Amino acid sequence: MSKEIKAVRLDEVLGEMEGAVMQRKRPGRIRVDIEADALPTLLQLLKGRAGYLHLSSISCVDWPEDEEFELVYHVWSYETGVLVSAHTRISKQSARYISVYDLYVPAGFFERDIYEMYGLYFEGSPHMEKFILTEWNGPPPMLKSFDTEEFVRDTFDWKEYNPDWLQEIVAKGGGIVE
Amino acid sequence: MRPENYKSVEHPPSHEYELNFGPNHPGIEGNYALKVKLEGDVVTEAKADGGYLHRGFEKLMETRLWMQNIALVPRICVPDPVPMEVVYSLGVEELGGLEVPARAQWLRVLHLELSRIAAHLFTFGGHAATTGMYSNMFWGVTDRDYVLDLFEQMSGGRVYHMYNVPGGVRRDLPDGFLARVSELLDYLERRLPQYDDLFFANAVFIDRARGTGTLTQEQALSWGVTGPNLRACGLSFDVRRDDPYLVYDQLEFDIPTETAGDALARTLVRRAELIQSIRILRQVIARLPGIDGPIRCPLPNPLAWNVPMGEAYPRVESSKGELCFYLVSTGGDRPHRVHVRGPSSMHAVQVLERLSIGTRIEDVAQTMFSLDACPPEVDR
Repeated sequence: MSKEIKAVRLDEVLGEMEGAVMQRKRPGRIRVDIEADALPTLLQLLKGRAGYLHLSSISCVDWPEDEEFELVYHVWSYETGVLVSAHTRISKQSARYISVYDLYVPAGFFERDIYEMYGLYFEGSPHMEKFILTEWNGPPPMLKSFDTEEFVRDTFDWKEYNPDWLQEIVAKGGGIVE
Repeated sequence: MRPENYKSVEHPPSHEYELNFGPNHPGIEGNYALKVKLEGDVVTEAKADGGYLHRGFEKLMETRLWMQNIALVPRICVPDPVPMEVVYSLGVEELGGLEVPARAQWLRVLHLELSRIAAHLFTFGGHAATTGMYSNMFWGVTDRDYVLDLFEQMSGGRVYHMYNVPGGVRRDLPDGFLARVSELLDYLERRLPQYDDLFFANAVFIDRARGTGTLTQEQALSWGVTGPNLRACGLSFDVRRDDPYLVYDQLEFDIPTETAGDALARTLVRRAELIQSIRILRQVIARLPGIDGPIRCPLPNPLAWNVPMGEAYPRVESSKGELCFYLVSTGGDRPHRVHVRGPSSMHAVQVLERLSIGTRIEDVAQTMFSLDACPPEVDR
């Protein structure tokens, strides 16, 4: 199938989606902003009708001021060589969304990763469990509200370090530069 | 001779049992584990177990300056760190609207292809070891070391180079460097027939690898497989050619493919890629002396550099497959978000889990190495 026909299909698909805002960022990169409830349909159309077979990744971004998560689905078409990044926003209050595992198998890995790191639950995802942070009981660590330095200060005690060899160096006028 | 009180023991027929394969096991890539269920010696279920290498790169990068992160990114993947530096730099350049000088782009290609050769040699070594051929493992690691020698001359570092920075590269090549690269390429070309005798055309290896971990093209596309693993299923896709970056569109190279989709096909694709990398490097050696100019574009003070607001999703072809970073800037001196999409996040988890089912326990390690799975890309 020629690249032109596929490109027309992409425009058709996006034209059918109400409320989808498309932006051509540079050749081969398209950004689409869409409502959360319409995104799975968009992905279904992109995969089924426009040939976007490859889910490159799902990225999650925490926007603490807006109390929202941004989810970005990067899908790639092997035929036209175009990468579409579909952006949507999810309220942090609900912190729940729908899995696209049925559509794209790689989503299983990314959704589990986002669940672990951000606490955003994907309904219908097959592996909503700990994978990397199996021994971690704290809040999801990638949230902006989780301060790693504060965690270290609260959790671990600082110890004075002043061994003999260092004292000898200090006595000679050397030492650690503050 | 048996003791007088010997009584033969009735063994139960082999039942289903569980085995923890890793995290410290010579047959698995470091610090990664598979929990396998076996019936006899046939795997009936496999579950990847990651997290042993989690160092929180993505979180840490949000607290470091844009330029400081250059010291972090190569550490995500030990065997093939260069694409990490390049993809991060490409992303920051896209956000900051920086034009990378031509010479720097060629130097980056030189660096990337050397890294691909080093990574493939390492993988050949690892894969050979899983089939019991330790001589080839020593060869692979030793020949990789010659490439590391060149990295050391180029950047001062053997494994982590931090050579590519946003805006270009850190320094120009030392005197006589290209001649030494050329010598190494001649050496590798002389070595390949020896590798063939010992490994690629070895009946033991071929018997073990043929039919192991077979992926069909449909499975590969549906499971998000990329890189040499995808090309071993007959699909000719390479980010270097199909979504070009740097100066790859000015270089001549083929995209080797195989059709069988098994461990043997994947290894043969890598072998052919190594030859293509040599071909690319020869072109770089021929053209680089004619490309003068700066190696870095003028940069703002890196300690107070506010990268303009925006997002970027740069992609490169690493030795393992499609490598992407998703970078978000809010206009500050640090990234708001860096998401690392390593090719092994697919290969080492969902693909390995699925491919292991039905193989015998001794072939699980081979399947993993033939996928060239790099656990640090999973944990990040």
